[in-house]
Amino acid sequence: MFRLQGSKVLAVEMTGDAVKAKNGSMVAYDGQMAFKKLSGGGEGIRGMVTRRITGEQMTVMEVRGQGTCWFADRASEINLVGLQGDKLFVESSNLLATDGGLRTGTSFTGLRGASQGNGLFTTTVEGHGQAAITSDGPAVVLRVSPQFPLSVDPGAYIAHQGNLRQSFQSGVTFRTLMGEGGGEAFQIRFEGDGLVYVQPSERNTIAGDV
Amino acid sequence: MSQYAGAGPTVHDPTTLPSDDNVNNYTFCVELKGSQWFLQKGKMIAYYGSIDFNGIGHGRLDRLVRTSFHSPLHASDWVVAEGSGKMLLADRAFDVNSYDLEDGNLTIRSGNLLAFQPTLALKQSIVPGFLTLIGTGKFVAASNGPVVFMEPPIRVDPQALVGWADCPSPCHHYDHGYMTGLMGGLRAMTGLGGASGEEHQFEFVGAGTVLLQSSETLMAEQATGAVPQQAGVPGSGVPSTGPSQQAGVPRLPGQLGDLQRRFGL
Repeated sequence: MFRLQGSKVLAVEMTGDAVKAKNGSMVAYDGQMAFKKLSGGGEGIRGMVTRRITGEQMTVMEVRGQGTCWFADRASEINLVGLQGDKLFVESSNLLATDGGLRTGTSFTGLRGASQGNGLFTTTVEGHGQAAITSDGPAVVLRVSPQFPLSVDPGAYIAHQGNLRQSFQSGVTFRTLMGEGGGEAFQIRFEGDGLVYVQPSERNTIAGDV
Repeated sequence: MSQYAGAGPTVHDPTTLPSDDNVNNYTFCVELKGSQWFLQKGKMIAYYGSIDFNGIGHGRLDRLVRTSFHSPLHASDWVVAEGSGKMLLADRAFDVNSYDLEDGNLTIRSGNLLAFQPTLALKQSIVPGFLTLIGTGKFVAASNGPVVFMEPPIRVDPQALVGWADCPSPCHHYDHGYMTGLMGGLRAMTGLGGASGEEHQFEFVGAGTVLLQSSETLMAEQATGAVPQQAGVPGSGVPSTGPSQQAGVPRLPGQLGDLQRRFGL
């Protein structure tokens, strides 16, 4: 059971079950806990190799036990995501913890990843349960529906879930090349049904200066 | 905030997002209905609807720029958003707030200003590194920690100053008793003997409001553009040609005068 204590600490109550969390993110626990490093994110040999190849590496530990365990990561804000059989796409650096029962994997993102400077692959989480993702400043959750498509700055994007199509929008024109661009030359456009998480801060991206 | 009550995050869509108001302390939502906003490059994080972002140099915007943008050398940092929809603005997870000006004026540190309505005119302040907004309208500014409003007369720490409204008297104030003389000079230069770091303040008097941030961490300075290279323009680097002015060695901050002047040489 995931619970936020303040906005920067995640408390997980466990009764013999397990959670997967970013390595070293435990700040405190009571009760009995066992921490086990999961090589390759607990995705088996194939997952391990995939992550090595795709550069979407994450070091994950499995925490199992009885009691409460608290997690935090560099005082960044934590957002809870509930999954009911749908799929969450998140950058591995933004994924803090998931229920032990959720499956994690990697997927190809294409140009969007490249524009974010995060590589061409992203982490997926699917199944039934909860996940916790971190953001620089509290994330804003935006709903995308067929009549309301959404455009997001690649630097502010952290995650999305649901049945969304994403396309890469580029406003690069001859003006951009002349240094008179609109400053928002690259955007990711989301269409379909789902939720998009954005943070109130922009990572440095190759699009940042354009 | 309610979204941390453990009940899961609030989900926003275009109908629930506020119009020209804060979504949370760090995110501001602007509603465009065929209207325009000026915003600093790279501060838009997401938008619904169809919105175009154009550089100030865009030919079609010439009239708008002529009436409400008086900082020509500053132009490459600003864009005009126009169209219809809702747009979210944020800046490096700093606190953002909107302010309304009614036929007033406000001077603000250039790095803190995020966006403003074209009904306001943006001008470069005489004080280097600051921008002045004049007119009626709304603007959005970021600060490191919430902003506090103070009434002059007041002396403020240079790093905590965000801006001021309606009081045209920003000046330096030095704690002379502590800084003058040989010992004072040594203290200021070396930090030995207890420099408190608070020997220098900005002073405001008169009617108006002074805006302070609750932190002494400055936000990255935004280039305000060079001022015209003319004598008499502060920050232009052109020495004034007055008899009393000594255009010589650059002074250290906090230094009161050159040694030889102090000794009357």
